[in-house]
Amino acid sequence: MTAAFRNGRRGIYGLTGGAAAEKRLHTARVYDIIYKVFRKGGAKTGDKMNAIELKDVHFSYSRDGSGEEAVKGVTLSIEEGSFVALVGHNGSGKSTLARLLNGLLTPTNGQVTVYGVDTRDEDRIFDVRSRVGMVFQNPDNQMIATNVADDIAFGPENLGVEREEIIRRVDWALSKVGMLEYKNGTPFKLSGGQKQRLAIAGVLAIKPRVMVLDEATAMLDPKGRDEVMAVTRQLNRDEGMTVVHITHYMDEALGADRLIVMNDGAIAADGRPKEVFAQYGLLRKIKLGVPFATNVAVALHSAGLDVDPHIATEEELLEQICRLK
Amino acid sequence: MKDVTFGQYYPTNSVIHRLDPRAKLIFALVYMITIFFVASYCGYALVALFLVAVTLIAKVPLKTLLRSVKAILVIMIFTAIINIFFYHDGRVLVDWGVIQITLGGIDFAIKMALRISLLVMGTSLLSFTTTPVELTDALESLLKPLSYIKVPVHDIALIMSIALRFIPGLMEETDKIMMAQKARGAEIDTGGLIKKVKAMLPVLIPLFVSAIRRADELADALDARCYNATKHRTKMKLLKFTFKDAVAAFAVAAFVTLILLDRYLLGGLDSYIVAFFGGLAA
Amino acid sequence: MPIEVKDLEYTYSQGTPFEKKALAGIDLTVNEGDFVGILGHTGSGKSTFILHLNGLIKLQSGSIDVFGIKLVPDKKNKQDLRRLRGTVGMVFQYPEYQLFEDTVEKDVAFGPKNLGLSEEEVAGRVERAIRLVGLDYEDVRSRAPFELSGGQKRRVAIAGIIAMQPRVLVLDEPTAGLDPYGKEQILSLITKLKKECSPTVIVISHDVDEITRFASRIVVFNDGKVAFDVPMNELFRHGEELQAMGLEIPKAVRIADELRMRGIDLGDVVNADDLVRAVVRKFDKTGMDETDIAKLSAAQFDFDGLYGASASDVRSGNGGGSGEATA
Repeated sequence: MTAAFRNGRRGIYGLTGGAAAEKRLHTARVYDIIYKVFRKGGAKTGDKMNAIELKDVHFSYSRDGSGEEAVKGVTLSIEEGSFVALVGHNGSGKSTLARLLNGLLTPTNGQVTVYGVDTRDEDRIFDVRSRVGMVFQNPDNQMIATNVADDIAFGPENLGVEREEIIRRVDWALSKVGMLEYKNGTPFKLSGGQKQRLAIAGVLAIKPRVMVLDEATAMLDPKGRDEVMAVTRQLNRDEGMTVVHITHYMDEALGADRLIVMNDGAIAADGRPKEVFAQYGLLRKIKLGVPFATNVAVALHSAGLDVDPHIATEEELLEQICRLK
Repeated sequence: MKDVTFGQYYPTNSVIHRLDPRAKLIFALVYMITIFFVASYCGYALVALFLVAVTLIAKVPLKTLLRSVKAILVIMIFTAIINIFFYHDGRVLVDWGVIQITLGGIDFAIKMALRISLLVMGTSLLSFTTTPVELTDALESLLKPLSYIKVPVHDIALIMSIALRFIPGLMEETDKIMMAQKARGAEIDTGGLIKKVKAMLPVLIPLFVSAIRRADELADALDARCYNATKHRTKMKLLKFTFKDAVAAFAVAAFVTLILLDRYLLGGLDSYIVAFFGGLAA
Repeated sequence: MPIEVKDLEYTYSQGTPFEKKALAGIDLTVNEGDFVGILGHTGSGKSTFILHLNGLIKLQSGSIDVFGIKLVPDKKNKQDLRRLRGTVGMVFQYPEYQLFEDTVEKDVAFGPKNLGLSEEEVAGRVERAIRLVGLDYEDVRSRAPFELSGGQKRRVAIAGIIAMQPRVLVLDEPTAGLDPYGKEQILSLITKLKKECSPTVIVISHDVDEITRFASRIVVFNDGKVAFDVPMNELFRHGEELQAMGLEIPKAVRIADELRMRGIDLGDVVNADDLVRAVVRKFDKTGMDETDIAKLSAAQFDFDGLYGASASDVRSGNGGGSGEATA
């Protein structure tokens, strides 16, 4: 039934042109409502759908497709509502992969589909982008207005959303990231964490169902990082937002449903974080390292103590050490 | 420097500040054109009076307004000197052969100086009372008809507002790079002009690279937020023409009428005054 | 005395409505051989402080003495400034953003050239500096900086400072934006530079777990003042203070505290290495002696081949002690 419904939607989206575009967005909203009801029904039967699907995706930055590929044959499905952490060292292809998820880049070979829409379908690229929001590394480089509310409104304005609805969305998005009190202020005097929360709100106002954070915590101090992570987790939990969190920080991957490790343009490991961290030898070999607790446990284990190195959290480490008594 | 209200905005939240920026932009244009119709010293006095009145209502200190003229003082003096020496009309006051100073020349030089300074003060007043962002919005709204002949009005407005938005950041960045190069022993603010320009390279090149990097990221961010998704873009902020704008429009109209009256009906009040005093003297 | 700062105060935008006090009376002495880690949240004054060490902002109030070069307010001495910049090497955040020449070699030469050194001297220093930061001199010397990877660019930028052969090396968030491996590379590079080039190092970081692995002394800034200044191995006593200032407690300290509550006292633990050693010391059944235990490490990557020195080496060589002078 899922597939049938999606095909039906594809028909609606077939419209093109100015007035049609508005109609299309309107029907998209109606669809969202129906879809939400439908999804609840689906979840009961355990039928989870995929938000994004990648089939043997290749990507090369050189125009003719020659030269070294940044992404070398990635096949992957991202389940609706899941929190996926994507890690890899600099140059592993993870940022390229992120840009493939919302059609900022399109695969040179293979296929990326977002809720059934092929990202190479130019007529429907904005269906993709309004479904997959993206937060970037430097908060200063993603704000376009000198006023907080104006900046949040930018996305829905681009989509031609009615004025009253934009105003509602601005308030909603700002309250979701806990920044409503800054609505009429300017973004310049805020901390890095606050600016990045605004960037998230700016994406939320588009009402996406997937949020990709491309190293959005890399430039923040620990406090800012905590703020952004808290907001992201909350969106995942309360709004059912699918999150793809790209990061260097292994500790940020701890709470994820799933951890994907990229190396040299391909997936090196994929699974529950704990399962992945258990492959600490591999993680070190591909220059990634493991979370603090795993690292200490591994060191203790190799020093000859009876400590299970296959742990990830500090609580587990405490248990292991207490067991030695 | 790191503040958004860079430029000249003088925040007081007066009636003038709260006028529709489109109206203000049009008024400023009308004011500028009107100045070229001023025919007499009385007319200039009227313009000055009008300007002072608006400044007072806007709660901007007159000193601040006068300061804006200071920036172009050199140019003004230079033009005045040129006019005095090379504009010849009426009674000759000084005659040094090649160089002649005439009464008409002095008259013309003074009027020109008045005209320039009133122009500058008027436009400054606009920027004291209107933020750059409001101006961009106003411009976009006023130029909207042009989009029907395929002029990318919104793109232009967006470019302008992004430029405004990034200037403080780039200034901060310049500061940082300058410090980094100074720490490497660069002497940036010493030496002659050529040396100075050369010394600026270590700052300008990284700044340029940084600007490109930012532009790249910004372009991705714009795309990700569905820029250009539909031709029927909506706007959250509504520019509204209200009662106070109408009142202001009447005031401007009255001002223009007086200036035109002086020029076309009376042929310049000055001559009457001169005649009056002339009569007294006789 | 290498670095002596007294009563340093600084206010941004003095005399305007935007006035903001950044430093409110800093007294700090740094001894030769110190590896000082400066912690503090954004706006605590730590960045403003280090700018003073290089004469990059005008002294408003107080005095600074760096290896006999004295700075006092209202006195501008160009000669002093030049000497100061040759003495204190300053590596800013994201230093790769300051690269501007078309080749690596020329860029690294910029600093020493500005010091007015002879051409041979400059060339020699450039080569040494590039090798010192672990890059292949023959390979990179004539390449354009923008061709290099992020981590390599950062090392070129650091080489540009090292080539000035400063006695004090100051680094502001040297690992910001790098991946774990890149971070470890830079950190072990710093310990190597301390050994072979600049014996006194001051590092600003907001990653407390990172800084505790390398520094010998911790200075915490808060509201424009030095909140406390302790030898590294005493940091674990200040957990609550750190938390009160909105800073993180080192993970190892947190875990040791938790273990203490559960009846296991590990003694003084500040970083992951300490934690591993303390646990082994307590529970080892194979009869390891102290020298074996001291060799244990929680380092994730091995750079011994790359940089020659291991991190723990440097720290145990200078560990503790030096902080007491002003504590």
